[in-house]
Amino acid sequence: METVNERLDQIVEEFVDLDGREKLELLLDFANRLPPLSDEYTAKKNTEDRRVHECQTSVFLWPEISNGSMNLVAEVAEEAPTVKGFVAILAEAVASRPQPEAQELPEDLLEKMGLADVLGMLRSRGLRAIVSRVRQELINAK
Amino acid sequence: MAEYADPDVLVSTEWVAEHHNDPAVRIVESNEDRALYTQGHVPGAVEIDWQVDLQDQVVRDYVDRKGFEEICRSNGITNDTTVIFYGDKNNWWACYAFWVFKLYGHPQCKIMNGGRKKWQLEDRSWSTDRASYAPTTYIAPEQDKSVRALREEVLKHQKAGKNLVDVRSPEEYSGERLHMPDYPNEGALRGGHIPGAVNIPWPLSVNEDGTFKTAKELEKLYCKTNHLKRRSPTIAYCRIGERSSLTWFVLKYLLGFGNVRNYDGSWMEWGNCVGVPIIKGSHPQSAPDTNTPTSSP
Repeated sequence: METVNERLDQIVEEFVDLDGREKLELLLDFANRLPPLSDEYTAKKNTEDRRVHECQTSVFLWPEISNGSMNLVAEVAEEAPTVKGFVAILAEAVASRPQPEAQELPEDLLEKMGLADVLGMLRSRGLRAIVSRVRQELINAK
Repeated sequence: MAEYADPDVLVSTEWVAEHHNDPAVRIVESNEDRALYTQGHVPGAVEIDWQVDLQDQVVRDYVDRKGFEEICRSNGITNDTTVIFYGDKNNWWACYAFWVFKLYGHPQCKIMNGGRKKWQLEDRSWSTDRASYAPTTYIAPEQDKSVRALREEVLKHQKAGKNLVDVRSPEEYSGERLHMPDYPNEGALRGGHIPGAVNIPWPLSVNEDGTFKTAKELEKLYCKTNHLKRRSPTIAYCRIGERSSLTWFVLKYLLGFGNVRNYDGSWMEWGNCVGVPIIKGSHPQSAPDTNTPTSSP
């Protein structure tokens, strides 16, 4: 099974040669692949404070560790497909990988994918903050 | 005031649905989330992004006159085209793009009342085909300084005690926080507001379905409750100039304020400037720290 790093390299490779429009289309494909919350997590939404308060629109994150492996469960508002696609990429990259590999999530992922220029400076700043947040949450999760 | 001062500046979703093929009309989407246009847009609409297209990517400013002409040219917009703006987030970015078009003197600009939200609520059709139009010739004049306020002008305006409207949330206005609730901090070093500015958070101007409130409701909010005078020069600001574009639009076109400018530098500039006056707390001038007449959104 590939490491987080190797998976991200593959994703970056998929993005890097596309033009701006195609990059957004691929990002939407990832957004559409983010599974809806199960009933268990939908119930947790109301009882646990899992909202990312510093993030635009509504993003809920649950970093889950089971037998030393990570999984990122997330819900992102439909009206923010860019954020949803980006979170979906992070979730796919870390799925079922050992927890220490969370360190491999790079803050400059957006630049590597060539998305920073498509989205502009202000939007990119917000997405970079999401990478930091996800990485931190996964590292600290028990 | 029973009617908007300039009712022609708004078009309905129905009107847009009927005119999306009209060669004299160009529909322009401008969003907070760029992927939304890719996901689906009003048939025939082009995308002009407020950040990547309309702003210069090196200097903190808008594209220059040549750059603006190129945007129009490549999107099939002539000097005579009626440009209809719409977008997400209650048309914030649509109003921002509208404002930049007015900065470059485009004559016919309108907003689709309700934006993406209303189009969606009415279950109208979305297109994923990226519209493209034959390039045009477009000649833009120099920037119209009457719609834009720069820092030194704001300072002068403030010292003269003229109308200032801070459209941010009450927490940003008081300095309790440096950014919108739920949004990232985009880097202001100081919190608070410009002395004398009244706090009228922008959401008070729009309804649940994204449309603008009635002329009567808007007049009550701005002129009666907050005592703004139509004939007095007015400057609106927020954090980066987007929410205040919406308020600028409301004041100028819906309420008929004669002289209103958007301070696009807004708090991201003022909150980082050395030596400019700032007031903390919820009162326009200074303590006593009591609540302003407006309620939170």
